[in-house]
Amino acid sequence: MREIIEAAVEAARLSGAEYADARVVDSSHEEIHVASGRVEAIERSDSFGIGVRVLYQGAWGFAAARDVGTASAAEVARRAVAIAKASALVTGRPVILAPESPATGVWNGPCEIDPFLVPLEEKLSLLTAADEALRAETAVTVTSVHCGFHREHKWFGSSEGAFVEQSFVESGAGIEAYAVSGDEVVTRSYPTSHGGGWRQAGWEYVTGLDLAGNAPRVAAQAAELLTAPECENAVVDLVIDGSQVALQVHESIGHPTELDRVLGEEAAFAGTSWVDIGDIGSLRYGSEHVTVTADSTIPGSLGSFGWDDEGVPAQRDHLIRNGVLTGLLTSRETAPAIGRTSNACMRADGWNRIPLVRMTTVSLEPGTWDFDDLVADTDEGLYIETNNSWSIDDRRLNFQFGCEVGWEIKGGELGRMVRMPNYTGMTPSFWASCDAICSADHWQVWGLPNCGKGEPLQVAHVAHGAAPARFRGVRVGVGR
Amino acid sequence: MPSVERARELATRAVGMTRADQAEVVVTAESNALTRFASNRINQNVAEENLSVSVRAVIGTRVGVASTNRLDDSSLAACCEAAVSAARVAPADPAFPGLPAPRPFVMAEPAAPVSWFDAPARARAVKAIVETSASAGLIAAGKIEVSERVAAIANSLGVNVGMPVTEISATVLSMNESGSGWASHLGRDPEELDPAALGAQAARLALRSQGPIDVPAGEYQVVLAPEAVADILDFIGYAGFSAKAFSEGRSFMSNRLGARVVSDLITIVDNATSPHSLGLAFDYEGMPKQRVTLIDGGVAVGPVTDSYWAARLGTANTGHALPAPNQWGPMALDLEILPGDSTMDELIGGVEHGVYVTRFHYVNVEDPIPMTLTGMTRDGTFLIEDGKVTSPLKNLRFTQSAIEALASCSGVGEHRRFVSIEDGKVLVPGLRLDRFSFTGQTA
Repeated sequence: MREIIEAAVEAARLSGAEYADARVVDSSHEEIHVASGRVEAIERSDSFGIGVRVLYQGAWGFAAARDVGTASAAEVARRAVAIAKASALVTGRPVILAPESPATGVWNGPCEIDPFLVPLEEKLSLLTAADEALRAETAVTVTSVHCGFHREHKWFGSSEGAFVEQSFVESGAGIEAYAVSGDEVVTRSYPTSHGGGWRQAGWEYVTGLDLAGNAPRVAAQAAELLTAPECENAVVDLVIDGSQVALQVHESIGHPTELDRVLGEEAAFAGTSWVDIGDIGSLRYGSEHVTVTADSTIPGSLGSFGWDDEGVPAQRDHLIRNGVLTGLLTSRETAPAIGRTSNACMRADGWNRIPLVRMTTVSLEPGTWDFDDLVADTDEGLYIETNNSWSIDDRRLNFQFGCEVGWEIKGGELGRMVRMPNYTGMTPSFWASCDAICSADHWQVWGLPNCGKGEPLQVAHVAHGAAPARFRGVRVGVGR
Repeated sequence: MPSVERARELATRAVGMTRADQAEVVVTAESNALTRFASNRINQNVAEENLSVSVRAVIGTRVGVASTNRLDDSSLAACCEAAVSAARVAPADPAFPGLPAPRPFVMAEPAAPVSWFDAPARARAVKAIVETSASAGLIAAGKIEVSERVAAIANSLGVNVGMPVTEISATVLSMNESGSGWASHLGRDPEELDPAALGAQAARLALRSQGPIDVPAGEYQVVLAPEAVADILDFIGYAGFSAKAFSEGRSFMSNRLGARVVSDLITIVDNATSPHSLGLAFDYEGMPKQRVTLIDGGVAVGPVTDSYWAARLGTANTGHALPAPNQWGPMALDLEILPGDSTMDELIGGVEHGVYVTRFHYVNVEDPIPMTLTGMTRDGTFLIEDGKVTSPLKNLRFTQSAIEALASCSGVGEHRRFVSIEDGKVLVPGLRLDRFSFTGQTA
């Protein structure tokens, strides 16, 4: 593979590029889906190709093709340079990459049991058992049970002398129960919604989720939700479970701290950010309890790698320390705007996409509270679990999230269940209202395999460490 | 980029290589180029070529699917065998009706040539867009995208169809610290794209949006421009018009066929058959797409189907299959709201105190049956007073049942526009809705 990548880089150089890198990506995906007693999908897909990124007179060009060989790689590189020459017709300040030592080496993610070698019968048996357990609850009329596996093997080389080889396996699974009655549809999911749980791991992760063992509880809660009252419009003290805190971090801290967004590079599609580059070191993002890191070294996280997709080594960096903004998610192109080098956040969705500034594992660091103590300390409030819907404005300020289920807190105890609670707020005041975060015992890394960004659209696999947390004075029951 | 004939040959060859009771192959070839700009300069510029083959193997009523973009003989054979192996292990599905038999289909005319609209031509178009903003002290961002695609579908029962699809799209956001404006284009022929005019449209809206003011949350009469209507229709189509969601009781149309669900001014069809359609004329089982009336004068008529859901519901196959395997059921990808008879000025003129919305941002479903949506306005939100657009407004959050909002429709625009949405495109007019709840605003 080195020969092919070197052919691409050399062809780009001969065509006039001052910088070039090439990535070959070989990926496989398997998806099995059982719904309402029927196997809806057994699918295996493979994709293989090369992408070449070049700088010509400080302007970018990128081309990609599925033919992977020395001659075709050189042709792709020449096409990328031709595109970069067109970019140079409408250019501003030339792109200058932050310095980086050329990376070399091999990195492999953790995987105990290769899921692609596990017999299909075994996978179907696990899913069918979970589906049957969900359907044992008569109020549950629609079910969805799935597992999925992704394997990626990629090679990266650059005109600066970098050459790295990386591979990893991701495994995921989840269950959903829908209870439908008249004009009411309610959902309950495990381990979380929107694709279930995901890790860089093998089949052992899926069996460890115990889908069938959790199905009766999930189905019973779905049934109970059908007759549960709606969450009333009120301002309450809100305790949020770890999975929803993870999504809250994703939308209102992860995205607005992407430096390309801050610089306006994503303005037309995903939007900009309420954060400015001058805010580093001074902006109070949240309360003193809020410390957030970006870490691409956590074993088993979807946000981990050896090097990012421009060859910068994995690392841990602070975005927020005790409530104050201290850093941003960066790339070699953007980092100089804040006087730093890249903290390794450039990630591409396959061979046919350019790397963009993406989240790695962006985590709300754990606090000190035990969950039971946190509820007991909340006199009047609401505890909510599992995301149902999400929306945030183009500067990542005004958000509104819905969850599958909530329980009223009265006198420090969980009480009546409420259906589909939503809550809304503004990013800085919401994080300023965070007065308690549960301890490391309640903290886990939540894989999020569906983060969309960029044009053409890219879907990144990212992650967030989070524990349940409490927020004071939050508006819930919007529109009710 | 292969020709349609070459793609059909490949699909037919792969069908022959698949040793199963029945086989279906979908070949998708694409050549895409996208020039992106921000801060008045080109910041990303990409192109890709790909071709993938997806094989659905059927043994009895057991089904397996595999796909690859490696086209050497051994890889293609391995892909076919992977689909067969999966089918051997899959449980029998007694409801599976088998693959569909061929239906008459008229092959489409070749698309307009787009090869001249290369990277330098796109760069010149970006320059024309950017200049209108830069000269007004504004910053422009957006994209110009050229997409050429060939799809071919064959199965062992004789289905053998193919067609090219070409799409040119452009978006422009023009902005400064005090406001922003938006313009977009979607069509088949790059000759129809007028970049300078598009850039000027966005810049004019940005200048008009300067110094937005507050309005209190509450229920307002609104006029939605076509792009805002598209955002609403996108979610109604995704969650409401599939035979699967309908059958499972998860659609707003479930249990309500024949009932008036929205205003009698609203008729919604899915129509890939019209000459102006931008999508494929057949579905991913190779069935010709039918023109389907989903809501007729406000009355729920029925969902779209594919071969599986048509058999389960005992209705006609409307030709709306997604690629196999498909967990979402059939999908309406060529939605239209039929035009009314009002000009945009007339829609606005009918509002005493309300809000004009250019487009929405990050809309999502909170509750599927009433189709309660939440999202933000973006890039041109204005107060309407005494029938005229007056002050720009800060962006507003809405939380609103889309069905109840459409039930309050009091005016439909006579002019329609194609708008890109997440899963395709829609053809929509502007609408005046008499009840629309805004529940918050951006600071």
